[in-house]
Amino acid sequence: MHALNNYYLIYITINLKLGMKKSFLLFLFSIAFSLASFAQQTVVKGSVLDGTTGEPIPDVTITIEETGQTLKTDAKGEFSFTQNVPLGEQVLKIEKVGYVTKRYPIIVNEGQTVDISGMTLDFDTSDKKDLFIISISDDNLNSEDDGLTDNISGLLQASRDVFLSAAAFDFSATFFRPRGLDNANGKVLINGIEMNKQFNGRPQWANWGGLNDVQRNQEFSMGMSANDYNFGDLAGTNNIVMRASKYRRGGRISYASANRSYTGRVMASYSSGLLEGGWSYSVLGSRRFGEEGYIDGTLYDANSLFVAVEKQLNENHSLNFTGIYAQNRRGRSTAITQEVYDLKGRRYNPFWGDLNGEQRNSRMRETNEPILMLNHYWKISDKVRLNNNVAYQFGEIANSRIDNGGTRLVTIDGENAYLGGARNPTPEYYQNLPSFFLQDANPTAYDYQQAYLAQQDFINDGQLDWNSMYGANALLRNQGGNSLYAVQSDVVKDQQLTFNSILDADLADNIRLNAAVSYRNLKSENFARLEDLLGGTGYLDVDFFAEEDDNSTISDEVAANLAQSDVRNPNRIVGEGDRYKYNYEMNANVISGFAQAQFKYNKVDFYVGANLSQTTYQRTGLYENGFFQGGGNDGSFGDSDKLDFSNYGIKGGFTYKVTGKHLVDVNASYFTKAPSIRNSFSNARQSNATVIGLESEKIQSVDVSYIFRSPIVKARLTGFYSGFKDGSDIGFYFTEDLAGLGVDTGDAFVQEILTNIERRHVGVEFGIEAQVTPTIKLKGAASVGQYTFQNNPNLYLTSVDFLNRSDIDPQITFGDGTTNLDGYHVAGGPERAFQIGFEYRDPSYWNIGVTSNFFSNAYLDVSNLARSANFSSDFDGNTFNDYDEAIAKDLLRQEQFDDYMLVNIIGGKSWKINDYFVGFFATINNVFNEEYKTGGFEQSRLANFRRMQEDQSRDNGPIFGPRYFFGNGTTYYLNVYVRF
Amino acid sequence: MLEQNKTRKMKTLKINKLILLLIGLVVFNSCVEDDDFDTPNTSIVEPNIPADQIKLMTALAGDLAQEQSANDGIFDPQPLDYSNEDDIVDYVFDEEDVYVTGYVVSSDEAGNFFEEIIIQDKPENPTIGIKFLIDVNPLFVRYEVGRKVYIKLNGLSVGITNGVLTLGTNANGEVDKVAPSLENDVVLRSNEVATITPLSVNVSDFEDDLTNLCVELVDVQFASNQVLGDNPLTYASEQQDQFDGERTLESCAESGSSVTFSTSTFADFKGLSLPTGRGSLKGILTKNFEGEAFNIVVNSPEDVNFDNATRCDPLFQDSFAAGNLDLWTPYSVTGPQEWYYNTFGNPSDSATMSGFSGGAVENEDWLISLPIDLSAVSTAFFSFDNVKRYSGNDIEVYYTTAYNGGDPNTDGAWTQLFPALDSDTGSWSSWVNSGAMDVSDAAGGDLYIAIKYTSTSSSAATWEIDNVSVSVE
Repeated sequence: MHALNNYYLIYITINLKLGMKKSFLLFLFSIAFSLASFAQQTVVKGSVLDGTTGEPIPDVTITIEETGQTLKTDAKGEFSFTQNVPLGEQVLKIEKVGYVTKRYPIIVNEGQTVDISGMTLDFDTSDKKDLFIISISDDNLNSEDDGLTDNISGLLQASRDVFLSAAAFDFSATFFRPRGLDNANGKVLINGIEMNKQFNGRPQWANWGGLNDVQRNQEFSMGMSANDYNFGDLAGTNNIVMRASKYRRGGRISYASANRSYTGRVMASYSSGLLEGGWSYSVLGSRRFGEEGYIDGTLYDANSLFVAVEKQLNENHSLNFTGIYAQNRRGRSTAITQEVYDLKGRRYNPFWGDLNGEQRNSRMRETNEPILMLNHYWKISDKVRLNNNVAYQFGEIANSRIDNGGTRLVTIDGENAYLGGARNPTPEYYQNLPSFFLQDANPTAYDYQQAYLAQQDFINDGQLDWNSMYGANALLRNQGGNSLYAVQSDVVKDQQLTFNSILDADLADNIRLNAAVSYRNLKSENFARLEDLLGGTGYLDVDFFAEEDDNSTISDEVAANLAQSDVRNPNRIVGEGDRYKYNYEMNANVISGFAQAQFKYNKVDFYVGANLSQTTYQRTGLYENGFFQGGGNDGSFGDSDKLDFSNYGIKGGFTYKVTGKHLVDVNASYFTKAPSIRNSFSNARQSNATVIGLESEKIQSVDVSYIFRSPIVKARLTGFYSGFKDGSDIGFYFTEDLAGLGVDTGDAFVQEILTNIERRHVGVEFGIEAQVTPTIKLKGAASVGQYTFQNNPNLYLTSVDFLNRSDIDPQITFGDGTTNLDGYHVAGGPERAFQIGFEYRDPSYWNIGVTSNFFSNAYLDVSNLARSANFSSDFDGNTFNDYDEAIAKDLLRQEQFDDYMLVNIIGGKSWKINDYFVGFFATINNVFNEEYKTGGFEQSRLANFRRMQEDQSRDNGPIFGPRYFFGNGTTYYLNVYVRF
Repeated sequence: MLEQNKTRKMKTLKINKLILLLIGLVVFNSCVEDDDFDTPNTSIVEPNIPADQIKLMTALAGDLAQEQSANDGIFDPQPLDYSNEDDIVDYVFDEEDVYVTGYVVSSDEAGNFFEEIIIQDKPENPTIGIKFLIDVNPLFVRYEVGRKVYIKLNGLSVGITNGVLTLGTNANGEVDKVAPSLENDVVLRSNEVATITPLSVNVSDFEDDLTNLCVELVDVQFASNQVLGDNPLTYASEQQDQFDGERTLESCAESGSSVTFSTSTFADFKGLSLPTGRGSLKGILTKNFEGEAFNIVVNSPEDVNFDNATRCDPLFQDSFAAGNLDLWTPYSVTGPQEWYYNTFGNPSDSATMSGFSGGAVENEDWLISLPIDLSAVSTAFFSFDNVKRYSGNDIEVYYTTAYNGGDPNTDGAWTQLFPALDSDTGSWSSWVNSGAMDVSDAAGGDLYIAIKYTSTSSSAATWEIDNVSVSVE
């Protein structure tokens, strides 16, 4: 069985050394021919075996490259092309997730059968998926709605495209986004069921983290190209197949060590393969752990369990159950200012502090959302397959933080006052930093002294002081008071039920129909939960910052209750585990239908598809907030208005095969997308208010590719364009001195609502790989894009600080109500990325690869508020009398980050010991320990000309400068495994 | 088939072993922090500071007074000058740490004090207090009221800021906040938390030496125009309140004396309405920002106990500041001279009568009040200030419940009262208060009060009347 494989190697060698391609092909042909049958038909058939175990491999995709005809091997590992087989020199591509892809050259003669039984596929020991999974979980677990860390590379892991695998494996460590798209633009399915969250449209990777062994079966379709399960989205669709019967028999035990997110991982899995009676099962257990990752204080604590059981009822019916429970607890980190970075470095994390000699992170993210699903596979006929699924996901995601607003109720003559509250205890609070003490133009000796002491203190400590918080609470407890400090969690507790049916029918030999209907119902409870009283006995649930505006027109009775989170239950003392602050339900329903036809012909393949969907959202307030008393859209209690979105999409594309080596591929689509729940309610924690001017996003997209493939070289060059209209976004921040709101009354914690966003993503991407010898592969990838805003979106602010003011609208706008974003870059990683690299794969089962990756043109996320008329306007709404266009232009210029280069090394080796396969796989990322910014954002705290100029021109650095994410230094990942 | 089963069994066994190994690994590696953190030990280690390393607070004031004296060009030592914000004393001790100790009396819980701790030398009958500035908040969670603290003087300075004795860091010649990073080194906490007994004082007792002390004003109220009427004020959330809301506290015990009650616009209780009644109040005696006037500042609205709903506002009051006698009916029975408004008084403005015009002239002149409404009260007391110059008859004082504007000798049934009167005819400033005269008989109806002046052709004194007041007590 190794023979053919060896011939293949010889072939390559000869081909290279002697250029004797034809003669060798004849030689190969003769071997094949000797086994051929004497049928009239032209047939290409064969079988595929595991290169090490010798067992047949089912579900291997066999492609005749010239025509793109594909087949999958059956349970015996066999396949057979009988229709429209092209003649002459052909290349057969043999691929399966988890194995190293191979390409076999063959010669097909009319009326003859080419039988290449016994082709082998070798298990892919490089295990790249582990590497990629780490960067995904890193990014996604750290993200806090900042829009910067939502990398889509997770989608791409199944892709065999040269460019996309570079994007997935080497570019993902930074914030590079293929085509400028984030993961809300891609779909992740498990067994055909969409897993993207309705809250923000993003897949929640933590929900199926740590299951690497059982997630090797993935089907990725690039961009909007034809997908068998759903309409898809711009960044592609990735279906993870987690059916028990789809796993090869065997087990795997592995241990990984790393210093990025977790420091250790143990994983064990076993799959039965098909057992007698039609049963099959697969189980996995894993644990990932670490006291801290690359960033200080980022604890990692994750346990994952997976069970799948499938029963093949008869030839036509099969029923599968899959259960996933991936529990994940993670200490988070945050973006820091340049000043903080300069003092503490890129590993610095202000969220943790020492407690009893141990690190305690105040911002934990805990995910507990098990997924249960039943999948029914029904082979109605040889040509028609129906797949019915039902999935139920429940559980919660909780993000903790310190609540420093603890107070004590004092009632004097029927009026309430809330005494207490404390300053933000974060060690990097701006008043703790040297820049704060040196903010004056000519700092005095005292200022320098204070700055020096602050600097030393920050350098030597600079961490959260848990002891002082416990001490404070202990003192207050002794006085009979409530906790001043507490740890709270923002909890999203979801119950989601999904039904779908997916039809796959071969209408004719070259026409295939895919269709699906789906219904999703989400009930999402959102609330704050008191987690830890830090030694205290209770916490008074009022909004410490609530204050009636001087210009307010509200009645005294309403004003008296402003601070209440729930007017119906005022001044509650809450304990650990209780809900407080806010509490509401979000109900979402989505009904969708999708149909697609794929046509395959000799010269051209094409497809058309369409979808229709109906989405509704409704908020139901369980608390009546003091600022938004009453119900309805202006209040907070009970049902909000029901938002209703009808959406549709059409897409089509073709692949034109100029020859077997040269292909042109074109995809085009137009579709509309309902806004996410997150972007539909302007202040969901406190009110029922829906976003004004909210529209479904309209997306049009086209990409044109030229694909070249020879036995040695594979390359793709693509030009792409995507246009987005009517996008929306919501941000939350504290800002000072808003225009037109009067002297000293323009500070507020605001919700910033952006609608009518138009963006354009254009660019080219290129990937090439050349198998220059059987063992050496050279590869290169490049992406050059431009992702920019194309208009001036509408911007308005809301805030409880301005509520009920007689002199202004509750929705504050500036100038013509827009923000001048036209031409600014959409932040989100480098717009340009380049890679060159090589892989050496030794026949004796070891391999090494090196890539060098260069990134440039990454931009800072700009403050939208600072680009509105607020920037040039004084407190009275008039233009600043010292406004200077030239200085303003300088202040508002979008920061472009420095270019950087990352060198990654990857390698591994495996051995076969009796029935066991033992191996290791290791990577070193950023070998040269390059320091670089991966992203960042401007703070909107100071968003007008005068304040910004003042801050930016301080000799000792700004106080409210941009916050940056910094890339990891040199990191490693090592995985050892035993497979049986 | 059998062979296959056997291999499978063997594999299962091996798998079991591997799973055991795996479980072992998991257990071994499970040492990640869980959510259950123990409450850390928050108890305080009592500082052990020898007596010879403790410097009395009064010694700090003495050092500063000495420094001021050394610079004032006067040979003799002078008492501490609270208006001198220029001189400061820097403490440098090479050999050892020296501390000042005291008891915390201020609290920033409600935000009315900010980045300062006021400490006084004793929990009871304090003699001196000092304001310690430190760039830390909140402070009340470590330095609560009554807590004994030791402040290390090394590197600190003492001086006058905002009119009070202050301890902190020398910032270019003035005392400013100590850096937060020095807190743990500079401020040591004792386990002792004393009950602070406020020093009971009257508004008239206020003097510089009482600043930075916790004082109690026993019988006070807010000025009527700030708490009564259509627009009663809050502590500090009125539009005109910048930085501080300044309100007027009137003493009931000492009629006419008042002090500014100051509340920060950052205080958590700034939006509360001022209490309308009267009673006692516990606060810190301090000065305003300019250091010019005494202020009372409270830690919490709970320190204001105006539980007596009956205010001590006079039922009638005239200090003649309006520059006229519009509240009165002057009635001349005999003689050309009449009661008139005079810019002099106690301290200024009065109603004055003199029968001297080139010589003594015979006069009988009544100064009769407009009706004073006593319908809502059951008691009433009348008092006024008076001064007599030159010899002559004393004035007589009467009251009645009905008077129609005619000759008081025939109009109205007058009852005579017997006030304390000035007898020092040689001075314009020998003011005497009449004492409270009971006019409760008029309660339930109208009250008229009258001051009857008489002079003869041989002697005519000059009488000035001021600060006329009728109140329920």
